[in-house]
Amino acid sequence: MDETHVDRNVLSALQEVMEESYPELLDIFLADSEERLKVLRTADSGDRLVEAAHSFKGSSSNMGAVRLTELCHQLEQQARALPVNDIQELVREIDREFASVRPLYEAERQRCPAKI
Amino acid sequence: MQPMEPLTILIAEDSAADRLLLSSILRRQGHEVLTAANGAEAVEAFGRQQPHLVLMDAMMPVMDGFEAARQIKALAGETLVPIIFLTSLSESEALARCLEVGGDDFLAKPYNQVILAAKIKAMDRLRRLQDTVLRQRDQIARHHEYLLNEQRVAKAVFDKVAHSGCLNAAPNIRYLQSPYALFNGDLLLAAFTPAGDMHVLLGDFTGHGLPAAVGAMPLAEVFYGMTAKGYGLAETLREMNAKLKRILPVDMFCCATLLCLSFQRRSVEVWNGGMPDGYLHCMASGERIPLPARHLPLGVLSPESFDERTEVFPMALGDRVFLLSDGVIDTCDANEQLFGVQRLQQVFAANRQADALFEEIEQALRDFGGEARDDVSMVEISLLEPAQITPPALVYSDSGQSCPLDWSVSFEFRAVTLKRFNPLPYLLQLLLEVHGLRAQSGALYSVLAELYSNALEHGVLGLDSSLKRNASGFARYYQERSTRLGELQEGYVRVHLQVTPTDDGGCLTIHVEDSGKGFDVERVMARPLEDIRLSGRGVSLIRQLGRNARWTDNGRSARVEFIWEALA
Amino acid sequence: MSVVSKVSQDGQKLTISIKGRFDFAKHQEFRESYEDKQLSAVVVDLKEATYLDSSALGMLLLLRDHAGGDDSDVRVVNSSTDVRKILAISNFDKLFDIS
Repeated sequence: MDETHVDRNVLSALQEVMEESYPELLDIFLADSEERLKVLRTADSGDRLVEAAHSFKGSSSNMGAVRLTELCHQLEQQARALPVNDIQELVREIDREFASVRPLYEAERQRCPAKI
Repeated sequence: MQPMEPLTILIAEDSAADRLLLSSILRRQGHEVLTAANGAEAVEAFGRQQPHLVLMDAMMPVMDGFEAARQIKALAGETLVPIIFLTSLSESEALARCLEVGGDDFLAKPYNQVILAAKIKAMDRLRRLQDTVLRQRDQIARHHEYLLNEQRVAKAVFDKVAHSGCLNAAPNIRYLQSPYALFNGDLLLAAFTPAGDMHVLLGDFTGHGLPAAVGAMPLAEVFYGMTAKGYGLAETLREMNAKLKRILPVDMFCCATLLCLSFQRRSVEVWNGGMPDGYLHCMASGERIPLPARHLPLGVLSPESFDERTEVFPMALGDRVFLLSDGVIDTCDANEQLFGVQRLQQVFAANRQADALFEEIEQALRDFGGEARDDVSMVEISLLEPAQITPPALVYSDSGQSCPLDWSVSFEFRAVTLKRFNPLPYLLQLLLEVHGLRAQSGALYSVLAELYSNALEHGVLGLDSSLKRNASGFARYYQERSTRLGELQEGYVRVHLQVTPTDDGGCLTIHVEDSGKGFDVERVMARPLEDIRLSGRGVSLIRQLGRNARWTDNGRSARVEFIWEALA
Repeated sequence: MSVVSKVSQDGQKLTISIKGRFDFAKHQEFRESYEDKQLSAVVVDLKEATYLDSSALGMLLLLRDHAGGDDSDVRVVNSSTDVRKILAISNFDKLFDIS
């Protein structure tokens, strides 16, 4: 996995800040992201698309998913201007990007089991 | 980063991951964290727990960050609760909206711990600053209330001292004064002497507030005490100056104008130390003679250097003396222009009805557009017939059982004493030990004063009473009196008092002798009793008020009696 | 600075110049310009003074008291007409040499 997808420095900083809660953070991020993707795929209004993209952009950036952040930013900016087909293509790209970074986060999750 | 006091911080953020991350960052920095997932929860949490600071996401469901911020700011009121918007909004319009609703700062995502800590620190400093300002404001307001209350108390005490005067009782005085003039140093006192003359003081202490007011009480006590005993202006001035010099700090003093209006002698005696010009309005000619300050204010000079010399002017019935404090002249308009003496003169010139003067001056001040002041004081005293003025009866505190009924005493006052001592108040106090005389104290004092001044001025000093026939002669007379008294080397005035009981009550014989050349008794006696008072030796006064007035030894010796019936 | 003081070469004469309004705001500055000095002669220069009120009169009295009271030598110079008038009404020319 090369660095343009996930910034490792961000991950180590997160781990340092979160300490025992690092796994919990990863879990929540992954769960939230699934939800957001659903919204993106099925959104019926420009506003909802923009909101979801904005929100996804925010948490992705916090989690160091650089390319994902960039794609969400594009969608947020252009959701009202692009024709439907282009929007759907962008959503699919976001979907693919998330699919590719997801294993990394899962691996992080494995590395640091939650302490009970 | 330096450690700071832990705060309670509310995080309003709908993304669970971001919320968790932010909470951890803040807890790590030592703060207490409250969380909310939308604007409504945020407002509710704020209401319940009053956090010090709020981190607010702009986009949230149910209620967005803008509305929540507005509501929280409203709930916070005067207290500053900093709101830092969490936003990756880039459009300046959106950022402007954050500020509009009361946001204090922004934090971009991804969250940078260092920047966040710095912003929190800065916001907290502002919060504490606001807190300090509000606390100090409240403290100032409380102190101000105390001060106002102190002033109210001081004013109440002073009013008791001040109301022993005749300012409100006498029909010939008109005045205008703010109720809080005292706290700008303005003082107005008036009282009758035992002879029925009127003393008036218009004063202006330096400074404001209690320091200005506090000098007024000792001054008023001296003024009232001495006036009641029959002391003249000169002695009263000397005492007031000495007292103020003693008790006031070096840089405080009291500008004052003092008047002695004599209805009997139809004259006004004036001393002005540092006050604006007073005016003597002659009704007949319409002329207003200015009475300028010729002396330093009271409380500046030591008793040795103090100058109590007064000026005396004749007055006709209906003439008025008008005094004002510098609040009138110093009234400023919006351009910092002063009302000034010239505008006052214009009001005088335009005045047709003397009784309307006060209103016209007030109107002129209003027209001028000046800021209203608390230290605008004006007083006008008219010369009326003595019969129209009834001084209040003196109240005595003793029982009358131990009263001296059969005695005599003689005094000889020689040159050095004549120069600096006025024996009249003392002699009067002595005579008032005799209860039967108390009802006639006014007449008694007037006669004593007249006899003594005749003996001194016409006898010892050799002044010619005909000088007082007109206004300029009047001034010269009193100047001459001053000069001759200053140069006096020899001479005496003797006063003999004899009190003897009679069948019905008692009799006082006053016998006054002087070392002067005497006068033509026959000629003066030939004049009818109702003669005018400007000149003449007051002989008619003595004859009217006392009994068996007679002059012997070529006028150098005068005798008069007072009798009374025994009190039941 | 609105209150400027200068001591003469021989250290005997102090000149205090006032700029602007001579009122209570200058109280401390004015006092500080003379209080640590032993003086035999003082000159108060009012050339640039625009206005004088009763607290200024009080300040002059304090200065006079410090400089020896009745034995003091305090001159007030370069007074404008307005300032002169105020000094005249209060008869301060009886205490100070005013020009």
